[in-house]
Amino acid sequence: MLQFLSKLAARSPWIYRINAGSCNGCDVEMATTALIPRYDVERLGCKYCGSPRHADVVLISGPLTLRVRDKVLRVYNEIPHPKVTVAVGVCPVSGGCFRDGYTVGADIDHYIPLDVIVPGCPPRPQAIMEGVLKAVEIWRARLEESVCSHS
Amino acid sequence: MFPFLKIMLRNLLLGPSTDAFPFAPAKTHENFRGCAVFDPEKCILCGICHHVCAAGAIQLRPSEDGAGMQYLLWHNSCVFCGMCAHYCPTGALTMSNNWHLAHTGAEMFSNCISSFIPFGECAQCGAKIQPRPQAIIDKLGVRSPERFLLCPQCKRQSIVRNVAQVRSTRRQENP
Repeated sequence: MLQFLSKLAARSPWIYRINAGSCNGCDVEMATTALIPRYDVERLGCKYCGSPRHADVVLISGPLTLRVRDKVLRVYNEIPHPKVTVAVGVCPVSGGCFRDGYTVGADIDHYIPLDVIVPGCPPRPQAIMEGVLKAVEIWRARLEESVCSHS
Repeated sequence: MFPFLKIMLRNLLLGPSTDAFPFAPAKTHENFRGCAVFDPEKCILCGICHHVCAAGAIQLRPSEDGAGMQYLLWHNSCVFCGMCAHYCPTGALTMSNNWHLAHTGAEMFSNCISSFIPFGECAQCGAKIQPRPQAIIDKLGVRSPERFLLCPQCKRQSIVRNVAQVRSTRRQENP
């Protein structure tokens, strides 16, 4: 039964966005990916959700400023396992042009394991979709693993 | 009477406005600035790309044995501003319209351009100088192509020799 459910669930990953001190460029692109009919990530079964407790795929943007670091980690820990993290833009990976700033905690990999990275400043919506598709593959594999280990 | 009928009909005729992207290649404008492409054959190690890079994505590391430089361009830091391609004197760096850069976290540190560029050698004494590919010879070495391939010291000597020669011939002409 669980395996059947997990097979069904894998077709509609829910996406949650975390803004870790981003300049809003990547957030606009992420919103574009979902809301504009031209890109429309929802036809792939993905859906943006409002609560971290419903999320499967997490999109993180921004260089993880020190002010939001603890809050981001708190929200991240609320997301149920198995979760897949997608870093959108170059900031989460390297800090981008904010690198070595006094409030910047990048790279995020010290705090949160990054599974998929979509570099760009900001990446174009199709690139984000590509990243999400990669993340869904990883998530599917993890889902099967975790279900098998439970049953 | 029914203005929406016109809109409905138009939308029916135009078809869906959604790009078929994951199932078909996406449209990319040819001037779209994607990741940088590096041609090590043309690089002269001037370092201007490293100097203008706003994100600090370009690194030039001298090799331990002094034979050349390791050129690194990290796609995970690059913000696609295109400054490096704009200032590159030989066109070794260009911006492509390739945006397929999404990769897994395991490839984080391999997602870069990395190439070793050996130093050139002075045509006279064999000292290490900046590489002199044809691209820069055509641009800067047109006036004196032989002197362009020398190290600074040999170049100075050759200029002095040249000046002395010119003076002696002048002296012979009008004593």
